[in-house]
Amino acid sequence: MRKFLSMFLVLFTATVLNAQGSANTGDIFADNLKIYTAVAVLAIILGFIFFFLFRLEGRLKKLEEGK
Amino acid sequence: MGWLYTKWWKWLCVVLLFYVVIGGMIVPLAPGIPSVSPLTFKPDTLQTFTISGYNTHFTSPQAGKVQLWFKNGSKFYCPQSLKVIDDNTIETTFAVSFAQQDSFERSNFDVVMNNDIDGTFALREAITLIKGKHFTPDTGIVSSKPLYIKQDGQADTMTSFYLHPASTVKDAQICEVEVVKNKHSLFAFPYREILYESVRNTFYHVPMWFIMTTMVLFSLFYSIMYLMKGKMEYDIYASSSVSVAILSGVCGYATGMIWSKYTWFIGMGWGPAIRNMAFQDIKLSGALISVAAYAAYMVLRGSITDEIKRARISAVYNIFAVVIFMLFVFVVPRITDSLHPGNGGNPAFSKYDLDSHLRMFFYPASIGWIMLGFWIMSILIRIKLIEQKREQ
Repeated sequence: MRKFLSMFLVLFTATVLNAQGSANTGDIFADNLKIYTAVAVLAIILGFIFFFLFRLEGRLKKLEEGK
Repeated sequence: MGWLYTKWWKWLCVVLLFYVVIGGMIVPLAPGIPSVSPLTFKPDTLQTFTISGYNTHFTSPQAGKVQLWFKNGSKFYCPQSLKVIDDNTIETTFAVSFAQQDSFERSNFDVVMNNDIDGTFALREAITLIKGKHFTPDTGIVSSKPLYIKQDGQADTMTSFYLHPASTVKDAQICEVEVVKNKHSLFAFPYREILYESVRNTFYHVPMWFIMTTMVLFSLFYSIMYLMKGKMEYDIYASSSVSVAILSGVCGYATGMIWSKYTWFIGMGWGPAIRNMAFQDIKLSGALISVAAYAAYMVLRGSITDEIKRARISAVYNIFAVVIFMLFVFVVPRITDSLHPGNGGNPAFSKYDLDSHLRMFFYPASIGWIMLGFWIMSILIRIKLIEQKREQ
């Protein structure tokens, strides 16, 4: 249950991480470099997910081998 | 199930998703017109419009001649003047005469622009002509300028004003449209009104439902296999894929909620927006029902302690859950009105939704996210198989 709650918390806090301004104002998306911050944050999150999955696989392999 | 342990496709998934996340965010949006100000104009008045461009290159030397037209029906009308302010702003003047006001097919004019870098782009129904009537002597007002007298004192009443007959504004002229380049030469995602920059969410929101559909079909296959052959591994495969299906369904719903809040339900608070999401659009309601049906599957599994009984009952339930999922996500939204593309008569994944640049990221995103779904599922299966082995 705690895992689900933290997952929902992470999903919904994404709404306040508003990296772009209003789309209708005519601001260029990349001009203020916010886009690169958003990309960096996304890449780090994705990197952590992959790292976690690979690490989990390594642990499972050890368990499967009976170590 | 040897593929559960192989690594090449997992590395492929890593490469594809990094490509999608980084590339999909950095590629700019194609040029477009987000706004024109003011939104309305009256006949016999030379009106100055400020046109805001988005990712446009009006002042660039490579842009060549910056052109603008006011399109009504199939006719293109020339502006009276055009002044480039900066890369993203243009000031233009336009007027139609009183005598001409009834000759237009529609009261709305599209603003169409062209230059050699940005190609041709437009804002549909950008400005509206408010038709007027002639000045009558009984109002007792005389003026040398075009004069508007509000009949009932309401400033924004569309038809209740009179024009001075002495106006000298000439008819708007129909233009010959000649362009050097019709399509922009930029590597960019299509500029879609309403969506704007959020079009990038296509790489996240849509593949979530692809994962869910794939996992649901996978679980259906193994539920049937379990009922036919009775092997416990098949129950593990089915239940693990349902877990991933629920996770992707929740992610799909979350990405869709945030997307619709800033597009379909812009200007609404979260409360009314969520009410609209859950109950106004059949596809959203259907998705909610489907995710709930699979959540019930997990509750059902958790409530039965006997392993074989649990596997059998959940396999049978899963077949019904798949029917609910298919019915509410794929069938019902196609026969009723829906805001979603591909439903209620809207086009889906055609030239309106995807162009070649979007496809370069959308297809890898779909494959990458589905692979990630299988990857998570493979880990769940392996954990359950280890648990099963230990129990034995």
